[in-house]
Amino acid sequence: MLQHVYLIPLIPLAASLLILLGAKEDPRSPMPFLGIAATGWCLLQSIAIFYGAATGELSLPYGADWNWFSFGATAGGKPFLYDMPVGVLIDGSAAVMLVVVTLVSFLVQVYSLSYMRGDPRFKRYYAYLSFFTASMLGLVVSSNLLVTFSCWELVGFSSYLLIGFWFERPEPPYAAKKAFITTKLGDLGLYLALMLIFCQVGSFQIPQIREFVARGFMPAAVATAIGLGILCGAAGKSAQFPLFIWLPDAMEGPTPVSALIHAATMVAAGIYLVAKCYFIFAISPVAMETVAWIGAITALLAATMAVVSYDIKRVLAFSTVSQLGFMMCALGSWGFSAGLFHLTTHAAFKALLFLCAGSVIHAVHTNDMRQMGNLDKKMPITFFATLVGTFAIAGIPGFSGFFSKDMILERVFEHDPRLFVILAISACLTAFYMFRLVFMTFLGQERDLDRYLHAHESPWPMTVPLFVLMALAAFSGWLLDRGEIFTRLVNFQALPGIAPAHEAAHAPAYLTWYVTAFVFFAIYLAFRLYGGSNFREAESIKRRCAPVFNLLERRYYLDDIFLALVGLSDRAARLAFWIDSEVVDRFFVDGWGLLMLALARLCHLFDDNLIDRSVDATGGLSVSLGGTLRWIVRRGLVQEYLLWSAAVMSVLTLLTLPAQRYCLGASVGLGLLAILTLLLVRRPR
Amino acid sequence: MSLGHYLLLGAGLFVIGLFGALTRRNVIGILMSIELMFNAANINLAACNSYLHPAGVAGMTLAIFVITVAAAEVVVGLALVLAVYRNSATAYVEDFSLLKG
Amino acid sequence: MNILSLITFLPLAGALLVLGLPKESKRAVQIVALLSSGLTLVLSVGLYFLFDRHTSSMQFVERLPWIPSIGVQYFLGVDGLSYPLVLLTALMSFVSLVASLNIVNRVKEYFFWFLILEVGMLGVFVSLDLVLFYVFWEITLVPMYFLIGIWGGPKKEYAAIKFFLYTLTGSVFMLLGILAVYFKSDPHTFDLLVLLQAHPDWSARFQILIFLAFYLGFAVKVPAFPFHTWLPLAHVEAPTAVSVVLAAVLLKMGVYGIMRVSYGMLPLGFQWFLPFLVIIAVINIVYGALCAMAQTDMKKMVAYSSINHMGYCLLGIAGLTVTGFSGAMLQMINHGLITGMLFILVGVIYDRAHTRDINAFGGLAAKVPLYAGLMSLACFASLGLPGLAGFVSELLCFLGAFARWKVYTAISVIGILTTAAFFLRMIEKVFLGPLNPKWDKLTDLDAREVCALLPLVILTILLGIYPKPALDLMNATVLHMASLLK
Repeated sequence: MLQHVYLIPLIPLAASLLILLGAKEDPRSPMPFLGIAATGWCLLQSIAIFYGAATGELSLPYGADWNWFSFGATAGGKPFLYDMPVGVLIDGSAAVMLVVVTLVSFLVQVYSLSYMRGDPRFKRYYAYLSFFTASMLGLVVSSNLLVTFSCWELVGFSSYLLIGFWFERPEPPYAAKKAFITTKLGDLGLYLALMLIFCQVGSFQIPQIREFVARGFMPAAVATAIGLGILCGAAGKSAQFPLFIWLPDAMEGPTPVSALIHAATMVAAGIYLVAKCYFIFAISPVAMETVAWIGAITALLAATMAVVSYDIKRVLAFSTVSQLGFMMCALGSWGFSAGLFHLTTHAAFKALLFLCAGSVIHAVHTNDMRQMGNLDKKMPITFFATLVGTFAIAGIPGFSGFFSKDMILERVFEHDPRLFVILAISACLTAFYMFRLVFMTFLGQERDLDRYLHAHESPWPMTVPLFVLMALAAFSGWLLDRGEIFTRLVNFQALPGIAPAHEAAHAPAYLTWYVTAFVFFAIYLAFRLYGGSNFREAESIKRRCAPVFNLLERRYYLDDIFLALVGLSDRAARLAFWIDSEVVDRFFVDGWGLLMLALARLCHLFDDNLIDRSVDATGGLSVSLGGTLRWIVRRGLVQEYLLWSAAVMSVLTLLTLPAQRYCLGASVGLGLLAILTLLLVRRPR
Repeated sequence: MSLGHYLLLGAGLFVIGLFGALTRRNVIGILMSIELMFNAANINLAACNSYLHPAGVAGMTLAIFVITVAAAEVVVGLALVLAVYRNSATAYVEDFSLLKG
Repeated sequence: MNILSLITFLPLAGALLVLGLPKESKRAVQIVALLSSGLTLVLSVGLYFLFDRHTSSMQFVERLPWIPSIGVQYFLGVDGLSYPLVLLTALMSFVSLVASLNIVNRVKEYFFWFLILEVGMLGVFVSLDLVLFYVFWEITLVPMYFLIGIWGGPKKEYAAIKFFLYTLTGSVFMLLGILAVYFKSDPHTFDLLVLLQAHPDWSARFQILIFLAFYLGFAVKVPAFPFHTWLPLAHVEAPTAVSVVLAAVLLKMGVYGIMRVSYGMLPLGFQWFLPFLVIIAVINIVYGALCAMAQTDMKKMVAYSSINHMGYCLLGIAGLTVTGFSGAMLQMINHGLITGMLFILVGVIYDRAHTRDINAFGGLAAKVPLYAGLMSLACFASLGLPGLAGFVSELLCFLGAFARWKVYTAISVIGILTTAAFFLRMIEKVFLGPLNPKWDKLTDLDAREVCALLPLVILTILLGIYPKPALDLMNATVLHMASLLK
């Protein structure tokens, strides 16, 4: 089974190309089923691998490499041909990620059958989705960090395509561009980190890098630089502080896309990458601490922003950012399994929540929660599913989120209680804003009658995925935690000689229940403020704390900073171009040309007045001489010409004669003269 | 007969030719006179060859060249004369003063 | 078998044949031009199967005395450095000829000059005698001058003159350098292979001086900052197909010269210049990208992006590592393909809309999906999306440079971001958003354009996913070049 694991990314890729190139655009095109089938096959494979790994039938990690291309490289001053491998590496975390990605992708594709039906670019949507799935799976299974990076960029590319899917409107293209550029900004760090890795290790292969690190060849300072670079990339893709600004805007894409890419899988790629390179972070305490703190800050900031948003998808987007912060913080606190555990459960319940939101939006055609309300009767399945998802994310005991969040909080408490406090506050805020969402959307009174009357439950392709995800959101935590399946499967094999962590404190057993109590209090608060039909209390609080709310609604001015940066780069571009056209080109190049031109003018003057004049004078002389001579032969008679040449010839001959022959010469000359005279007297006829 | 006699004959012929070329009014006559001058030169060449360099053939060869060239020249000349005659119906040189500057 | 001569002079035969055809038979002119260029391409591709990938020595060598009194030879040969460029030249010339089938004005002269240009370009890459090299180098100027000056845009005369004078100035210095090495070598020779072995006898001072002379000639062609300002102008004014060969092949002559002549012949001068070269490379990358970002004319933007991309080549070379050299060589090929594609595509929109202003469009993706798709592909390839050709070569350039110049490389990755920014902005403004009703009648690509683009698209994707065939051609030579580093 594992020897064909390389097919897992290749089959969706093939499906994507087939869909894109193989058929004409048609709203009723059967091509989507090709994509669904491909992903379904991958899902079955992934589940088989996961099952095999969980039961211990398959021994992980499994790796296989092939030669990709060869290029010259240097090692120890000696040039040689480096064979860049491309390969697969399946370990526990990869097995889990495979299931997460294929499952969510499969469900989202089924869901989209109905959600996207009738769209003029229905087929292309599926091609993009399959392409995304392929690159995401490639990212997961690759053993080569360069290939991982390539796929990393490709998921960003498919995210670009899918955010901007409805490109006829002005906002989606802008959001797509913003997402691409912002993540690319982070990727620069990752790119440099990759170069540093290759420079140090001479390979992109994860096992080799790990070996290199494990033997202690990598200095801590270099590891810190690499770690921070990787973190940069992860912060871009996983929407961590301060690069999270793109994610709320990315909600312009179709909602199933948000569920797949911007909630469950692509944004988790950053977390996964940090986990993949965990052994580098392990030897650099600085990088580790940075990861933890960035995660914690992100978790808190995003949670606070979610509290004030009215757009149902934006709330979920902020909540995603916040949850990703939890994961990051867990990784930074040596909670390797905890972070990935939360990634897994989060994928299920966040996808569920997004699909529910999609269902609601599909029904009422607005994102604004202020225009919803009282939808629970109209859309019972959606309501129920949302409730399950909310219970899961809020960490209600028994639901999946409870287990993973509990694991994180425990781990973080042991690592650094300050981080724990931040995360605990964020957890309470999570409960608050999620229940606020539920209350505003489904309970209370309808606030927009038109939309309310229009609302209806979604058709089966949309509800079936909800049921599946509901089950997972409810039980996956318990299932995976049972017998510690997850921690056995996904754990970090410590490097020899590296202490896993210093423990600041030992987590007391009652910690969970303290937090849970606070969570319940937050839910109560949400009910008090948003449970009724109007939000008078909430509004009055908002009025009283206007500056705080303003700060939150402006997203801590990070967007403005981003825009300022864009403006700055624009100005830099204009400056550069001004320098190019005015200074380099006009001043130096054209100036040089003008200088030459002036010199040329000078030469021209000299030439015209001195040299050319003398040439003209020579010519003039010949002309006037010729004019004079012409007078002699003015009659134009051939014989006259002949006569003159004969005369001149005779004179010349005479001159060459030696002196003693002058006598003879003189007689010839006399004869000639006689002839001349004869001719000259002769008149023309 | 010495070389001098031959040279004298050549000179005489040449002068007669020159006189003819300068005085004849008819173009045909002029051409004939020019022919005379060629032959004067030929006589000189042949005589010099046989008296001064009896073993060599350069003079004879040159003479043959001259004869050939003269023949060609006459052909071209006559053709020109014909062309001119067709245009202006005259064979008298005084009428051909187109080269007058 | 004189296959290199055949490849080089087939277009010349075509050009002479074109000259003999009557002016009115445009179709015949086109067919002859396409046939001769196509045959050249076929022969070059045929060479691919005969090319020995395991040797770094010159292959398919032809050597005849030309001007024996001063030792000038007719000396041709290719190795892993020049053969890929020969292939690129043959391909891009053919593609450009296909793309210029829509020329209506003075067809005969156009194709004549174009074929002559191809002869010059091929000759530069195959000649191994400095005089021959110089002759071919200069031959390219004349057709280029006429092609820009006659078939160009509104400021064509100015652009043509500027291009001609600028490159001529550079190459005059190169000629000086050639003469200097000729008189320095003992016995006097123009034979490049002999000269490549001669440098141990030369002093550092001499090498630096001669390096600078050669560098001036090559830097203008690359174009390296600050000798680049002729490029945007020439590109903007030149007709589409001429822009394509200009970007795809002529710029490569500069980098090829640096790698073949300057690096191999004058290693001390090269090493002395290295710190400057890396700074120039970084300027080319960052500054070129910034300049491109400020453009609203699509063609000018692509032209500036060329400056940026040639900066990657220079950066790879400045790294003075095997990896960097591989990267630079691969980048030459990839940039040729990608930028060729971009210029053809810009030409397509200009043919239809008679404007290239980014702000004049909007929402075209809905109207011309094929065009939008290919343009996006080309843009993403140019900004270095993995899976498309640009990525691998950029990476190798960066990897090569990073080993030696960490800070400079770190600065130059900003260029990647800027490139992404301006290409995405272009895509957004031209193709996305609401459709500008002015372009309601716009038609998608026609068969001729698709034919011209298809080989480039396929190669861009192929080399992006699997660059091995291209790299295998170069590896032996690169390793050999690296062994000179001692």
